[in-house]
Amino acid sequence: MSITDQDSAVRTERRTPSAADRDPARFLRRRRISDVVLAVGFPVVMLTLWQIAATSGWIDRRFYPAPTDIVGEIRRTFQDNPKGNWWVDIGISVQRMLWGYGWGVLFGLFFGVTMGMFRTLRVTLEPTLNALYTVPKLALIGIFLIVLGFDDKPLIAVIGVTVFFFVWMQSMVAVMTVPDQLQEAARSFESSRFQLFRHVIFPSALPQIFLGLRVSAGVAVLTLIGVEFVYSPGLRGIGYRINNARTVLDPLQAYVGLLVAATLGVVFVTVIKVVGRLLTPWSSNDRTVL
Amino acid sequence: MQSVDTERSATETDKIVATGVHRVFGGTGERVHALGPVDLAISDGEFVCIVGPSGCGKSTFLRMVAGLIGPSDGTIEFTTHRSGQSTSMVFQEYSIFPWKRVIDNARYGLDVAGVSKKEGNRRAMEYLGKLGLAERAKSWPDTLSGGMKQRVAIARALAVEPEILLMDEPFAALDAQMRQILQEELLELWQADRRTVLFITHSLDEAILLGDRVLVMSSRPGRIIADIRVPFERPRSNTIRTSHEFTELTSELWELLRVEVDDESAGTV
Repeated sequence: MSITDQDSAVRTERRTPSAADRDPARFLRRRRISDVVLAVGFPVVMLTLWQIAATSGWIDRRFYPAPTDIVGEIRRTFQDNPKGNWWVDIGISVQRMLWGYGWGVLFGLFFGVTMGMFRTLRVTLEPTLNALYTVPKLALIGIFLIVLGFDDKPLIAVIGVTVFFFVWMQSMVAVMTVPDQLQEAARSFESSRFQLFRHVIFPSALPQIFLGLRVSAGVAVLTLIGVEFVYSPGLRGIGYRINNARTVLDPLQAYVGLLVAATLGVVFVTVIKVVGRLLTPWSSNDRTVL
Repeated sequence: MQSVDTERSATETDKIVATGVHRVFGGTGERVHALGPVDLAISDGEFVCIVGPSGCGKSTFLRMVAGLIGPSDGTIEFTTHRSGQSTSMVFQEYSIFPWKRVIDNARYGLDVAGVSKKEGNRRAMEYLGKLGLAERAKSWPDTLSGGMKQRVAIARALAVEPEILLMDEPFAALDAQMRQILQEELLELWQADRRTVLFITHSLDEAILLGDRVLVMSSRPGRIIADIRVPFERPRSNTIRTSHEFTELTSELWELLRVEVDDESAGTV
C-alpha cells in the first residue's frame, strides 16, 4: 500500500463544545467549589493523619503531640494561664516588632525613593548598601548590644535593619521603573520636580512599594522570633517562650509558640495588604486569595 | 505642490520657527543622526501635519518643540501671546495616569499650573463634555476602552488651552472606525477655535483630512523634503476622502514618501 492510498482515506474531524463550553457558568461554579475543597481539604487531611498517627502510637506523642493535645494546650495557656501570662509576651513582642518595622520602613522608603529619583545619590550609595545587604543581620546583635545597651533597642535595631533592606530595594526599583511615557506626559505639562513626584512617580510606584512592605512584614516576624531566641530582655517574648520550651523539654509550649508566631505573621501581612489595597484602588493586578 | 520652504524668514504671524535644528542620539557608543537640518515656520492658527517613514525623527522634532528633549544644534522659537502654558501634547498611548480618575486626569495640567480645583473641574468637565466623556468623569482609566482613553488624553491637553497643540500619532493605536470618529471630533473642535496644531501621523489620509499643510520628511536623518498646502476648504469632514483631488493628493504624497521608505529598507539609514 502506498502513502497516497493512506492519504486518500476520507476522514471527518469534528469540533464540538465540551461541557465547560456549553455551560461556562456551571463549569466555573464547580471549579470554585473544587478549589475550595482542595485548599481546605489538604490541611484537614494532614491534621487528621497526624492525629491518628499520634493517638495510635505510630509516632512518639511526647515529641509530636496530637493536634488535639495542642488545642488543649492553647486553651490552658490562654484561659487558665498556668504557664505565665502569654498575652504579656505577645504584647511585648508585637511592640518590638512594630518599632523595628516602623523604623525600617521609614528609612527604607526614604533611601529607596530618593535613590530611585536622584542618580547621583544612587551611584554614591548603591554599591555600599548592596554589600551591607548580604551581612547576616542577626550577627549584628552583639554589636548593637554594646552600642545601644541591654534593653529592647538592640532587638528593635536588628528588625529595623532587616526590614530596611527589603523596603529600600523594592521601593528604589519601583521608583526607577515608573514608565517613561507617564513621566513625559507629566513633564509636557511643565510639572515641577515635586509635582512629578507627587502626581506620577509616587502613585506609580505605590503598588510595588506595598509589595515590599508586605514581604518585609513577614520578614519582621521572622526576625523578631529569631532575635528573641538569642536575646530577649526581661525574659519575655514569643521567641523567648519557644526557646524556653525547648530548654525545659515542653514541646507543647513550643507548638503553641509556633502557632502564635504564625498567626501574628498572617495578621500583620494581611493588615499591610488591606492598607495597600485601600491606598491603591486603581490597581487590580493583585488577585491572590489572602 | 509647492517648493520646500526653507528660506522663509520669520514674520509677524509665525508661531513656531525652527532654524537649523539637528538631533543626534547616543553618547559614547554609536551616534545616530536622527534629525536635521530642519528649517520650518508655522503660522498662528495653522494645522500642520508631518508624515515620514518610521525612524525619521518626526516624533523627536515634536518632543523638542514640547521641551521634553533639547536640540543638538539649532534653535526652535515660538511666540506666545498669553501667560500660562504655551504647548501641550497628546501622546500615542499609555499617557493617562491609571491612578487618577478621568476628571483628575483631564484636570492634571490645570492642577500643576496652580488653577483652583473648582475652576479646574469646570474646565476639565467642559472638555470632557465636548469629547463625550462627561458620564465617565468618575471612572478609573482601566475601565475605559482605548478610544476613550485617548479622548481623555485629548481633553487633558485641551483643558490647559494651549496656544500650540502637539499631537504625536494620537490615533495610531486605535482601530479604523474609532480613528475616523476621533478625526471627525478633532476637526470639529479645531474648527471651532483654530489653535496652532502640529500633528504627527503615519497616515497620509489623516494628514490630508486634517491639515492645512502636510510636511513630508525624509528617512534618517530626517529633513523636510516637501511642504504641501492642502487645497480643501474648511470646514471639512470625512466625506472629502471620496473626492478625486483627495485621491490624487494621496498618491502624490505616497510617491514622495515611497522613495524614502525604499531608501530605508535598502539599508541606507
